[in-house]
Amino acid sequence: MTEKLKILALFEDIDPAAHSMDALHDLGIGHEEVEVITGSPIKPEMMGRHHPHSKVPLFAFVGSVGGLFIGILLAFVTPRLYPLNVGGKGLSPGAPSIVVIFEMIMLFMLISTFLGVIFESMFPDYTKKEYHPEISDGHIAVLIDIEPDQQSALEDAMKNAGAKTVRVAERQQI
Amino acid sequence: MAVQAESKQSSHAGDHSKLDPKDHLLLDPKPRGEMNAMVMEAMQTTHWRFWVAVAVLGGIVAYCLVYMWIYMIQEGLGVAGVNRPVYWGVFLVNTVFWIGISHAGTFVSALLRVFKAEYRRPFTRAAELMTSFGLIQAGISILMHMGRVWRFYWMVPYPNERMLWPNFRSPLMWDLLAITTYLLASTMYLFLPLIPDLAMARDRSTGWRKKLYRVLALGFRGTEKEWSHLHHALNIFAFAILPVMFSVHTIVSWDFAVATRPGWNSTIFGPYFVIGALHSGIAAVSMVLIVVRATMKNMKYFIRKEHFNALGVLMLIVSMGWAYFFFNDFMVQWYGGDKWTHFLLHWHEAGPIGWMWFLMLIFNIAVPWLTLWNKKWRSSPLVLFVVGLLINVGMYFERYIIVPVSLGINRNPFSWGEYKPGVEIYLTIGTFALFILLYMIASKLIPLVPVWEVQEGQLAHSVRKIGKAELPAVTDLE
Repeated sequence: MTEKLKILALFEDIDPAAHSMDALHDLGIGHEEVEVITGSPIKPEMMGRHHPHSKVPLFAFVGSVGGLFIGILLAFVTPRLYPLNVGGKGLSPGAPSIVVIFEMIMLFMLISTFLGVIFESMFPDYTKKEYHPEISDGHIAVLIDIEPDQQSALEDAMKNAGAKTVRVAERQQI
Repeated sequence: MAVQAESKQSSHAGDHSKLDPKDHLLLDPKPRGEMNAMVMEAMQTTHWRFWVAVAVLGGIVAYCLVYMWIYMIQEGLGVAGVNRPVYWGVFLVNTVFWIGISHAGTFVSALLRVFKAEYRRPFTRAAELMTSFGLIQAGISILMHMGRVWRFYWMVPYPNERMLWPNFRSPLMWDLLAITTYLLASTMYLFLPLIPDLAMARDRSTGWRKKLYRVLALGFRGTEKEWSHLHHALNIFAFAILPVMFSVHTIVSWDFAVATRPGWNSTIFGPYFVIGALHSGIAAVSMVLIVVRATMKNMKYFIRKEHFNALGVLMLIVSMGWAYFFFNDFMVQWYGGDKWTHFLLHWHEAGPIGWMWFLMLIFNIAVPWLTLWNKKWRSSPLVLFVVGLLINVGMYFERYIIVPVSLGINRNPFSWGEYKPGVEIYLTIGTFALFILLYMIASKLIPLVPVWEVQEGQLAHSVRKIGKAELPAVTDLE
């Protein structure tokens, strides 16, 4: 079994990059073998691609449930472990407990959301990767996994679609 | 004659049918590489006056903040003006003021993102930075107020040999929770949209900057998955950080409102404080943007009169909101008939600090109402800066009147007294200097304009011809 090649096609505009997807389809290259890299977000529909799945909302939900339990712990459980009677109020009066629980829910939800981005994007990752500095200058990179025997056909297809450069992607320190 | 009239009308219509894209950043796009270069140049070009300002501010911070704080710790809180009956002085005024300033970043960034207000794009980061740095000043002010600052950890809930546990029914503990939540949340909300711009800076830096941005960009490349995760997170943050923002200043207001003191025990204090925070915060954002635009290279392209116009409208609306809540608070207390409240209100208007009460109303209501209704005036950086400065002075007066002035009058006339700040004056100057210093340093280390957001906005905007008019059209790309 031969090792797959990674080809990086660099486009200056969205339109030719989007049309290149049709060319890839014609070559029998599926969506899962293609990665689009951009310097600013573009809707996947513009490239005729599916929305990538993100578990970040799930992280937020789990974090908020965790925050709820920690809030309940602080507002209802710890006052009984360390009773402190002040001003004739109960140990866990309703309204002040809501304040504590609310803040804990929000704190843990937002921390989890942040961690969700970190885990889902596998940050930090300082290993060598396929990249081109012109991407952050507005160019659109289409990174394609192919069998070596498809290389010349792919390069022709990408150039015909309007790619500025097409080359074998090298892993580099970014 | 009829023909002449028609021709005149047609020419008149023609004058107004053309949209001048130079007025609108999102209709006046430049290539992304050029915008990147402009932002990098603004960040990396430093005039000698910048270093002089940094040195002066550093000196002020060293003397007014560090030295004076150490002096106060050594001598005790007696060197501050807080004493019976005014136990809460300028430290608490500063805390409320800086938390108010910090509201602007979240408001401008999150609320305008939720409502898809497109003009926000170039200055969200400049505003978010104010949130983080403002909260640092608020936290420092609380620590100063504590006196024995080294006992700070007593507020942290963890099992300990002292058998002390924080009282979660106390508004002061809610403060700790809310401010901690807000500081962490706003810092994460600042950092997340910064990642793509740090990657951009990494791609066109050398030396120590390259190393710094490489670490901070976390290996971001801009893959579909990375953008998708970032997009989801920013949406969650934008919606969730708003109630946190409201909760912070509401809880700060409860520090006062839950006490059965004349002038404080008001059910409307929560929203009154929140609107006050927005009033000073948006005014401060305007001032910062004007300074950034005037002092940093290439910023005139990103920050334009349209942005000052939009912020001026916001300032006017918030000023009206503040006047509404102020009048509500005043009216009910005045009507209530409680003699101590009556004494207090009279003290506000006719006491030795009465001038401050009237200036507060002039700066917070009269000045914005008389100036910001005019589009030409509110679009002028100079006018907006002066109005913003006066609003902030007015809002500082408002907090001063609420805290030490109101504490001078209570239900025990034998203990009435005036407050005269001591070392707090230096410490206040120190917090202002530290805020400006941190902001100046940050403006040279991180891209102050979120270039990817601007590019996204420019991609979404176009000019559409309807009839004879060319009008801006927006496509929803978020």
